[in-house]
Amino acid sequence: MLRTLRHLFSSGQRPRPQFLELWNPLGLLCTASAMEKRGSLELEEVQKVLCDVKADDVRVIHVGDQCDWTDHIVIATGRSSWHVKNIAQALLHKAKQKQKGADHMILPFVEGLVGGKWVVIDSGTVIVHALDEKAREYYDLESHLSKERTPKGSIQDLEKAFVKVRPINNSKKKPAKVVE
Amino acid sequence: MIQPQTLLNVADNSGAQELMCIRIIGTGNHRYAHIGDVIVAVIKEAVPNMPLERSEIIRAVIVRTCKELKRDNGMIIRYDDNAAVIIDQEGNPKGTRIFGAIARELRQLNFTKIVSLAPEVL
Repeated sequence: MLRTLRHLFSSGQRPRPQFLELWNPLGLLCTASAMEKRGSLELEEVQKVLCDVKADDVRVIHVGDQCDWTDHIVIATGRSSWHVKNIAQALLHKAKQKQKGADHMILPFVEGLVGGKWVVIDSGTVIVHALDEKAREYYDLESHLSKERTPKGSIQDLEKAFVKVRPINNSKKKPAKVVE
Repeated sequence: MIQPQTLLNVADNSGAQELMCIRIIGTGNHRYAHIGDVIVAVIKEAVPNMPLERSEIIRAVIVRTCKELKRDNGMIIRYDDNAAVIIDQEGNPKGTRIFGAIARELRQLNFTKIVSLAPEVL
């Protein structure tokens, strides 16, 4: 937890107002960054790797304020299934290189590496979707993700609803000591 | 608690409307499937003029169950219906959009694609 805190502050990310109280009354963690420590890829590193492997049409969507399970979603297109797989391999290689020498390596979860049509690299705060051209057209992730979602307000309303109000019983309270 | 012969709703826009579970994959001898399990199902009802047809055999991942899902922090999630999302052999969803709320346990079970298509994550 401390590492995550330090990590966030050092990377110059704006700490959220409710950052320190991680648990809200619903029992959910408020920030994805605190919950998911699956990998260690940062947004800048991801962008650099994607630039190096020549992924087309890279788009970054910041969803930190809309959904609470991740902060950034990166969508990239590969020219073939080989290229899409290579994007995933390059990101994995970067994650491995970054943690070289560490006794406990945390690698991002990769999904769909067999087919190569749509590969997801899930490193907690950053989720990278690498798709081939057909799949990108078919699933049309941008329009879905950039659409305004239900804001977190609904949860905040629930917060108010769940707070127990216990009447304060003053009758048994000892009177405050008079300072002599 | 999904077992063979259970009817499930479809929570995506793939064109199927109702599925019947015929086998649970990867659980060996276990009797029931829960949220995040992959099942083999047959399409019982489908929208006309869509790629999927009635009596086709497909794979699907369960996203909602009436049987409650317990979390470590004491939270319990249960839905009104049993619903599944149709996937292919590689795990790509057949439809392009998913309806209804999805539990975040699916992400831990490596169904991030489904979670990222969902409108709301619980």
